[in-house]
Amino acid sequence: MLNMTNLNLSIPTEGAAKLDLIIDLGQSGLVTPEFYWSSAQTTDGSEQELMLHEALSKIEEGLILKVNGRRQMLALTDLNLEAISLDAIINPLTPQMARISYELQSVKLSTEDIVELQLASSIDVPWPCLVRVDAFANLPASRLLTEETRSSGAILLGLPGQREESDFLLALTLQFQSASPALSWLAVGFQHVVPDGADHIAFILGLFFLSSRLTTLIGQVTLFTVAHSITLTAAIFGWVSAPSHLIEILIAASIIYVAVDNLYEEQSQRWRALAVLGFGLLHGLGFASALGSLELPQDTTLSALLFFNLGVEVGQLAVLVMAFACVGWFRQQPFYKRRIADPASVTIAGVGLYWFTKRLAIYLF
Amino acid sequence: MLKLKHSIAAISVASGLLMVDLAFSLGPSRALVFPESATAPGSFPDQWIHGSKSAMDNEDPAVQVHRYNDHTYILRENKAINYEGAFMYVFFGNEKALLIDQGSTSSPALFPLRKTVDKIVSDWESEFKQSNTHLIVANSHLHGDHYAAWNQFVDRPNTTMVGLTHEEVMNYWGFSNYPNQRIEFDLGGREFVITGTPGHESSEIAFYDKWTDLLYTGDMFYRGRLYLQDWDAWSASIRRLQSLANDYPVSHFVNNHIEMTNTPTIDYPIGTTWQPNEPPMQMTRAMLDEAVNAASKIDQAGIYKFDDFLIYNEVPWAYTTDP
Repeated sequence: MLNMTNLNLSIPTEGAAKLDLIIDLGQSGLVTPEFYWSSAQTTDGSEQELMLHEALSKIEEGLILKVNGRRQMLALTDLNLEAISLDAIINPLTPQMARISYELQSVKLSTEDIVELQLASSIDVPWPCLVRVDAFANLPASRLLTEETRSSGAILLGLPGQREESDFLLALTLQFQSASPALSWLAVGFQHVVPDGADHIAFILGLFFLSSRLTTLIGQVTLFTVAHSITLTAAIFGWVSAPSHLIEILIAASIIYVAVDNLYEEQSQRWRALAVLGFGLLHGLGFASALGSLELPQDTTLSALLFFNLGVEVGQLAVLVMAFACVGWFRQQPFYKRRIADPASVTIAGVGLYWFTKRLAIYLF
Repeated sequence: MLKLKHSIAAISVASGLLMVDLAFSLGPSRALVFPESATAPGSFPDQWIHGSKSAMDNEDPAVQVHRYNDHTYILRENKAINYEGAFMYVFFGNEKALLIDQGSTSSPALFPLRKTVDKIVSDWESEFKQSNTHLIVANSHLHGDHYAAWNQFVDRPNTTMVGLTHEEVMNYWGFSNYPNQRIEFDLGGREFVITGTPGHESSEIAFYDKWTDLLYTGDMFYRGRLYLQDWDAWSASIRRLQSLANDYPVSHFVNNHIEMTNTPTIDYPIGTTWQPNEPPMQMTRAMLDEAVNAASKIDQAGIYKFDDFLIYNEVPWAYTTDP
């Protein structure tokens, strides 16, 4: 335990990223304690490298640094061998640590990049191995590699090091981002509808139960999408703002409106498009408020926003597909409105009324 | 007529949901209370499981679970698995639990700490009608023999991993003036005072539980070899603990290891996996005062023997008092 291994990845805002491996080389099995001692006795750095060439090659083969899923080449920059005596090297209770420093020269890293550190099964080190990543976030990120878990998993450089919660969805998002950074925002957008956006789902279902005509539904959902994209973008860039508690109350009111409107569609059809447009603008502000708790990358805000929006649309589509799968088969049936659409709309109106009352009460009291 | 029917139905749905809300809010409170006015009692085992002559033949559980009281558990890693025989702690509050330290063995097969903690949490939730308890995985300090099984918790739902760097630890507990600051920490109605205690390790913290009056001192003060990498920091920390014990009643000083035998000044051999006739793990105020006295007298590097602990002042860790 005293001679556990450390892997420190440091990513400065300017210049090349540095990776330091701090390892009890004499206890690692890569060299014998005697050989480590004689290498450490050599004062010439290049001669040390030459002596330890075989061990260093094995380390370079087994030490894997991936950026966005692609393995990076590491250039050895420094070798520092601590050794007070051969006895100390032999005794694991007096660890004599070697610091092996590498540079990552060819890649310029940004807050959107994902890194992953691995120790392949081809090498063994004194376990466990503590990984520390200092990057753009205020806090470092820490991970632990063990004989059983040899990968740090994906570490998003723009995220604060502290992980508030082990969240499966967040982990999934990060895995997505390993393949393509933009995909993570798509996943975040999706999650804002399914499963986090119950009120948004209710509104979409309200639109679904309006009409048996698919073209009407597509038209209204598109209008809604365009509208909430406008206010979401405007809010993210600080062009508009509104108190979130008021927005939440109005969103609940919008759910009641669409649900009640479904019951009297013949009378209100002409105003429907206008109302959906207005409510879309409202829901966009709601998304902006939810998105406010996440840190959008400063240098690629627009692409992150685009993919977030796309994720919201995919989420909406998922809700509609589910609704179709459940009751869409009966849309042309004469009993559809009376037996399915109207009871569903009444239920949605009731849920909207519940949210409206509760949110208003919280606001007032 | 149609309008009225729809309206009544919608209002019924809303009313039903509001009634459910109301029922939950008016139902009998399941909140646990942790009064600070008196010391909540607890007990220690007469003897901790302490390894065996042959580690290979040891059949004791990998993790000894001791229920100190209803809402406080002390765990110990089997010494036959790792000679450190480290103690770990689980404190419960309303909807929150705090796990301090994760032992000296990483392998879940050898040392199933996650499984053990999950069972403790689940049994505790059943007994006290609690649910959705959020687990905080924290550390007394950042030495590998106290976080080896940390990885077992990283994919645990509803869990906060405090982190294994100094910066993450300071950020989580809210230190802006480490180590002098005292932090008030609320574990779901159970109040703790946390302060910095570097010296053995530079990110170490101590926890005082206002409910049980336990003062948890980690590796900086225990019945064993107090390896001090920074003497000045440790002597300031031990005084800080004394000051805390002056300001709050302390029932027991609890910690991470037992390395002393029952014979004053004599420790078990380093690395032993069998410690028959162990003294208690918990320590007393008199022992703390002795450590504070030592802090004011010692001014040289070296090994200093006391009845209940040994001070290894800035000497290599392998130096021992073993014959």
